[in-house]
Amino acid sequence: MKYNVGIDIGGTFTDLICVSSEGKTIVHKTLSTPQDSSIGFLNGIREIAEMAGVPFGKFVAAIDTIVHGTTVATNALLTLRGAKTALITTKGFRDALEMRRGIREEQFNNHYHNVTPLAPRHLRFTVDERIDSEGKVLKEFDEQELLPVIEKIKAEKVESVAVCFMNSYKNATHELKAVKFLRKKLKGLFVTSSCEVLPSIRFYERVSTTAVSAFVGPIVAKYLDNLTHKLDSINFKGTLLIMQSNGGVVVPEQVKKNPAVTVLSGPAAAPTAGAYYSKLLGFKNCITVDMGGTSFDAAIVIDNECVTSTEGNINRYRIALPSLDIITIGAGGGSIGWINDGGLLQMGPQSAGALPGPVCYSRGGKIPACTDADLILGYLNPDFFAGGKLKLDKEAAHQSIQNELADKLGLSVLETAAGMYRIINSNMAQGVREISVERGYDPREFLFIVAGGAGSIHSSEICKELEIPMFLVPNVSSIFCAAGMLLGDLKHDYIRSYFTSFKNMDRKKFIALFEEMKKEGMKALIEEEGVSPEKITIQPVLDLRYVGQYHEVQLEANLDDIINYRLENIFDLFHKEHNRQFGYSLKEEQTEMELINLRLRVIGRKERPEFNAGKSTPVTAKSAIKEQRSVYIPELNEMKKVPVYDGDKPIYGARIKGPCVIEKITTSVFVSEAYDCLVDDLGSFIVYEREKFPGGYKLKKNKKVDENR
Amino acid sequence: MKIDKILVSIFQRAFKSITDEMSISLTKTTRSPILCEAKDFVTGLYDAKGQMLEQTENLPILSFSLGPVCRVIIEQYGDDIHEGDVIIHNDVFSMGNQNNDVAIFKPIFHGKVLVGWSAAKGHQADIGGAVQGGYNPNATEVWQEAIRIPAVKLFEKGNLRKDVWNLIFANIRLQMVPEDIKAQIGACTLGERRLQTFVAKYGLEVFDAHKQALFDSTEKMMQSEIRNIPNGVYEGESMVYYDGKHKGSKFVIRSKITVKNEDIIFDFSNSSPQTKGFVNGTYTSSCSAITLTFLQMVNPNIPHNEGMIKPLKYIVPEGTILNASYPAATTFGNHLCPQVADSIFKALGPAVPDRITAGWNHLLCSLFTGNHPRTGKKYVDICFLGLKGGSGAMKGDDGYDHIGMIDASGGVLDQDYEMYEQQTPHLILQHEYLCDSGGAGQWRGGLGTETKILLRGDDTTMVVFGDGDIEPNYGLFGGKGSVLNKIELKYPGKSGRKLVPLNKDMIHGIPDGTTYYQVAGGGGGYGQPGLRDREKLLTDVKNEVVSAKAAKSIYGLKQK
Repeated sequence: MKYNVGIDIGGTFTDLICVSSEGKTIVHKTLSTPQDSSIGFLNGIREIAEMAGVPFGKFVAAIDTIVHGTTVATNALLTLRGAKTALITTKGFRDALEMRRGIREEQFNNHYHNVTPLAPRHLRFTVDERIDSEGKVLKEFDEQELLPVIEKIKAEKVESVAVCFMNSYKNATHELKAVKFLRKKLKGLFVTSSCEVLPSIRFYERVSTTAVSAFVGPIVAKYLDNLTHKLDSINFKGTLLIMQSNGGVVVPEQVKKNPAVTVLSGPAAAPTAGAYYSKLLGFKNCITVDMGGTSFDAAIVIDNECVTSTEGNINRYRIALPSLDIITIGAGGGSIGWINDGGLLQMGPQSAGALPGPVCYSRGGKIPACTDADLILGYLNPDFFAGGKLKLDKEAAHQSIQNELADKLGLSVLETAAGMYRIINSNMAQGVREISVERGYDPREFLFIVAGGAGSIHSSEICKELEIPMFLVPNVSSIFCAAGMLLGDLKHDYIRSYFTSFKNMDRKKFIALFEEMKKEGMKALIEEEGVSPEKITIQPVLDLRYVGQYHEVQLEANLDDIINYRLENIFDLFHKEHNRQFGYSLKEEQTEMELINLRLRVIGRKERPEFNAGKSTPVTAKSAIKEQRSVYIPELNEMKKVPVYDGDKPIYGARIKGPCVIEKITTSVFVSEAYDCLVDDLGSFIVYEREKFPGGYKLKKNKKVDENR
Repeated sequence: MKIDKILVSIFQRAFKSITDEMSISLTKTTRSPILCEAKDFVTGLYDAKGQMLEQTENLPILSFSLGPVCRVIIEQYGDDIHEGDVIIHNDVFSMGNQNNDVAIFKPIFHGKVLVGWSAAKGHQADIGGAVQGGYNPNATEVWQEAIRIPAVKLFEKGNLRKDVWNLIFANIRLQMVPEDIKAQIGACTLGERRLQTFVAKYGLEVFDAHKQALFDSTEKMMQSEIRNIPNGVYEGESMVYYDGKHKGSKFVIRSKITVKNEDIIFDFSNSSPQTKGFVNGTYTSSCSAITLTFLQMVNPNIPHNEGMIKPLKYIVPEGTILNASYPAATTFGNHLCPQVADSIFKALGPAVPDRITAGWNHLLCSLFTGNHPRTGKKYVDICFLGLKGGSGAMKGDDGYDHIGMIDASGGVLDQDYEMYEQQTPHLILQHEYLCDSGGAGQWRGGLGTETKILLRGDDTTMVVFGDGDIEPNYGLFGGKGSVLNKIELKYPGKSGRKLVPLNKDMIHGIPDGTTYYQVAGGGGGYGQPGLRDREKLLTDVKNEVVSAKAAKSIYGLKQK
């Protein structure tokens, strides 16, 4: 028997999933240990070994792979507790990192401050070297110039150094020379350069991404070293893989080279899992949403592939590496309700977080939050939250909504709670709109997948606002990201800038650049990660635009077309893609195109486990009814008694009529008046609008459905 | 009808998301760097009467002219407004703010009923007239600056009026401009579709009632902000130097602000008469300047709709420098915003000292045109990266470094250096904060910058326009002013840099190898420098943005 384990470490809980070679799946949540998260990591493994009924040593020996998503880099950026970082750049450009091209995100707010630069000005050094926009050396670089800088770096006890020179994407010799010298003279320090992190045009993007990499680098490296050490100590002989922001996984050694690839390590797993589940149900496209305590993440999957973007920001720090396109908004169970000066009710983005948390947690929270409203509206069971581990104080929630909001609005507590519910749903719908409509996709054509504990009592309203006819609450929804980690492939992204019109393009150079990236990728996959060549796929991407435009389109091209230099095919694809994104193409005008960057994604396919909740004999839905409870029905704008089902019972294949609540230890699903729910044979819930599916939703794949329940 | 308060909140967010979406679409599809890089445009939604539902204001100085133009269009066309119409407008003598800022309007129908308008206005790379790019420092009449486009239909009931299209674009130099107008029409179509769906979902009656409730609630918010200002009459003034025609000329902008309970009147009647050059405001550019300045003094979370501007009253008489009479030249008018802002901040300073900032850096800007030797093509480039100075400090907060003119308040971006070196023949030698440029004070003014660019290619033309090179901006309550703006050129083979003496000028034939040098000053300081937090001061010294000398002589730092 072999095991694969996925581990996602969050602020409050560490989520685990373990799949055996026989397909048996164990899902578990244990408390996180923020002071050293590897403790929670090992606790989790110990606990699932117990759940599997296997002695710890034997269990560890049988683990094939552990895939891990880490928030170490994310938290370093969010809390600004990264390494003490220095930046060395070209003379004349000391401040580009801090200037951020002169943006102030809140234009009318004179109290709004710039971000704290990841390398402060006194640790930003310049050297007199210069390469022009064609890659020609205008001023030779002399390493000796670094000597006084090195002295200062030592004196200031700097922990990490980033190097970024002007136009190094065209000619990296100066940068590489500097890095080599620094690594020799500053043994033990983390040293990285822009040509290693992101060798592409746009100085600001490059310097910012390189600084992020240097800022999180030493911490991520230390964390990974500690973790591998701990795993060694328990005799773990399998492979440890780390989730990257691009939805792929890599070995820890690769992460240490460019730690910035892990800033979205956690949330990137959700769309990865979404791609798997949508395929399972016969869909190509899906939207995944994950509602946690403070934030709501939304991402999309197109043609069974996660959508990547290079437009990312974390905490206002620009990271231009390919990352899964994830929208995060400040809406979660902890989002607080407040009244603006115009007397209108608002929700969030401020959050009560996990501590003090919503008022009903009785941990000192005084301001009513989303979870308090959910409790008043009957969606949550005060005695069965997290399976009863946390008792919710309904009376306190009621009082605080009354005092803080309802009295001021002149509404009843129930009306106010319903308002809080509707407003936060509308905010989340806005996030979904941003990830879909504003990128040119119609959300109604997508399978809507809901993850996270709180999401599934809000999703029918989000769907209604966007006219999405159905949503899926997967069987592993509460640990969805951990599951996604087991589904990611090995993935490496490479980029080279080649700024040219197609008319003047050098065919040999164009192909050679791809060959160079391919070679690098094959080496990483085959030699360092032991992937067999037949499992490798290669996806070239071209950054293109019409001559005269400023923003480029990232176009997935066909490898054959590139190797054989069939440009007509590439042009055709570009016209189509431009038309799709912006509603028009300039094909008829025969407008010329130009190339900005070449990208290559090298993928090593991994085996995908199937999650099976176990092979219990199904029971009828009727037998799973726990109680009748009054809940708020948005369509009727009133409370109504509805049945509450025990969702942890094996009610596979059941069709359940709405309105109702399906309650699990880790999550609750609210099926509203206009909806029904179908439970599939893996225990996932498919909630659909009754009117849109006359005769009930039918599974696309041939799965057994008992229509008589 | 009973108002659903919750629905009012949802309306507000929905309108905002529509104008944001229109804005994203424009960023992605336009070609002129002024639009897609610097975001010198605005998108908006209006109701059937031309009342603002929401706007996304990347560059606020353009923004508060859309509503007035919408009302001009409604009056002009009366019943002759149909689904599928597209109306274009730039005319500064019918509520336009600047010739280059061209607006597109699309009416929105619910069935047969006109329910609203979507609009997008952007600064076009060219608008005809005598000088490419539109900034003609020698202009004395509008026709030397631009082609005038009073409201005219580009499309009627969905059909392109090819003759009108050809007439307009035959008078504009760059092919890029009609392409960017297409992008603006696209953004309006997006807004039209979204509002249509929205009205259909809730019905006309609910839409009207809740839209009004949103205006009312917003108006209440603005009124409560005004009530926080003590009643009284407040006056302030600031100077404008040089009209482009008469060396040494100067003009005054004088505000008289009357606050009475929840009403506020901004009266600029006592400002100088209009100038003979192009340094003249238009009614709407001046009202925009007033509005955006006042918005900096109130709760930044007030929604942007008709209710927000309703309590603000403007008196800007025709014939003054802020509202020139037909047919005056007015292209510089947007850039009188810094002086309008100064006069308002100075006036209200004594009344609300903790809501105002010290002086912001005034705009001084260059626009280069020439031939790119590598591509053989003509280029037009506004040197955004040289012009950004600092904002003024306020009580409790240092100014924002390198933010640029108050007209944009950080909404306009520098070009990326490497893209710049690809798009133009020039080589950037330096772009950094300037030490000691932030006005000293208990709260320091935002830092200014120094920029050095090696100009390449023969026959470069440079148009300079701006101010802030004669009178330093001001500190408040003991805070100091900052350094002056300046532009210098070092010609090849010559020793030393030579000051460009006039702040509105056009210089032809700049030779290859000339070095362009610009200082954009910082913002003014607030409060006595001696009271500056010592830890902050030491950090500034360590970071070399305040010199040891200044720390000692101005801030009174004792030697350790």
